[in-house]
Amino acid sequence: MARFICIVPPLTGHVNPTLGVGAALLEAGHEVAWISLDESLKDRLPKGAQLLLISYTEDDREAQQSLQYLDVITKKVVYGVDSIKFLYEEVLIPLNRHCYRGISEWLREYKPDLVITDHELFAGAIAAVQLGIPYVTSVTAPAAIQIMDELPKVYEWEQNQIVALQKELGLRAEKSIASSDLLNLVFTSQEFFGKPKMPEHYKFVGPVIYKREGTTGFDWQRFHEITDRPRILVSIGTTFNHEHKKAFFEKVTEAFAEAPVTVVVICEPTLVEQWPENFLVQLNIPQLEVLPYLDAVVCHGGHNTVCESISHGKPLVVIPIAYDQSHVAGRVVDTGAGMRLNFNRFKAKHLREAVYEVLTQPGYSAAAAALSQSFVAAGGTATAANLLIKAAGSHHEPLLSTHRYV
Amino acid sequence: MDTIVTAGKLNNEEIFNLLKQFITEVIGEEFAEEMDISMESSFNKDLEMDSIEIVAFSEKIKAHFGDKIDFTGWLSDMDIDQLIALKLGMIVKFIETCQ
Repeated sequence: MARFICIVPPLTGHVNPTLGVGAALLEAGHEVAWISLDESLKDRLPKGAQLLLISYTEDDREAQQSLQYLDVITKKVVYGVDSIKFLYEEVLIPLNRHCYRGISEWLREYKPDLVITDHELFAGAIAAVQLGIPYVTSVTAPAAIQIMDELPKVYEWEQNQIVALQKELGLRAEKSIASSDLLNLVFTSQEFFGKPKMPEHYKFVGPVIYKREGTTGFDWQRFHEITDRPRILVSIGTTFNHEHKKAFFEKVTEAFAEAPVTVVVICEPTLVEQWPENFLVQLNIPQLEVLPYLDAVVCHGGHNTVCESISHGKPLVVIPIAYDQSHVAGRVVDTGAGMRLNFNRFKAKHLREAVYEVLTQPGYSAAAAALSQSFVAAGGTATAANLLIKAAGSHHEPLLSTHRYV
Repeated sequence: MDTIVTAGKLNNEEIFNLLKQFITEVIGEEFAEEMDISMESSFNKDLEMDSIEIVAFSEKIKAHFGDKIDFTGWLSDMDIDQLIALKLGMIVKFIETCQ
């Protein structure tokens, strides 16, 4: 039996894959704990898991220094290359700086055999190296490890930010250690990732979709009542909550009011004064249960929602807002699984046209279905869990059967 | 459009019009029409082009000028702040000096 620690940032898309893999490890009899800033994670952890919360005492003013960056990321309007700079300078670097001491303390106390740290939470990697604990990297937003040929200095700049923090925290290394030399679990398939071919210790295990036994309510009756028209889902994830959100959903409303489609929308029902009759609006939906019944998905290009949609063979219309989403949208277009619109520029009619296009042209869902096969072939949860068991050095442990999780 | 072979040098205005045409192709005609594209337009802020769109734009320049201009080399030398500040006029000037 081995002891694992997952270190995750408070971002849903980065947490979910670790929950799936962690659940499999726990079922196989291993110990798994999560280090996070987010107290609410406790309710989402798999059975038998432990939450190691990063929290500092009240008199420790510097460490207490509110978690503003969490607020900043949801509120600030950023776009394009600028958003990458913002992400590092105002979110990731302060976040990692803030988490470092808490992570180190938990690692000392818990003494894991292996650390699994998110690629954006490099403080986990720094702490592991400082304490001599082996670590692997969980790559939940794969665009981050891709260098664009035309813009190599963007990647270089990102690496420099990480190296500077490493030095600040006392680690003398000239290159970023955010990606492990031992193992990187990349939660997509090589087919969806595209170029380049990564070194051997980058394992494309496919998306790990963690099905929570939740009780999120949903108006299934109304959803199933109308069977003669396509159903689409519109979601821009949990990260964005700024002024553009309202404008976005107003365009969605305009695009599909009285159109022959049923529109499931994930957002606060109060955001728009009057939703059209063919809209079903909820802040939370049982997305994985709803997906099989949908015909297309409109989203902002968060890696999780895109992968979940593709896993179900659903074509996409992707409207990237910032960060790596433009890249994810680019991959959706390049693989033929959907279309892309520009968040700032698109108008209601463009959205309507794009949705009809992916609904009526079978090529899009065929491409999504082909990609979903590549996800299955990548192995998913069991493959990821087995790689971790091996990396933890417990070779004599029985591995998981790969059939159970497919 | 990408296969036009230009004989001789293009002047400032011709380069500008050509690049404007490339931007239009990348972002779509109806959007470009609504924008006041000028030498002073920045890619990030004014044109709201993200990295993927900038790369698509750069591929059009490459396809048009071929080996005559090392646009990729020039672009790949830009650091993040230069990219954020990149304006259409800067590319016009670069192409002009390369000819």
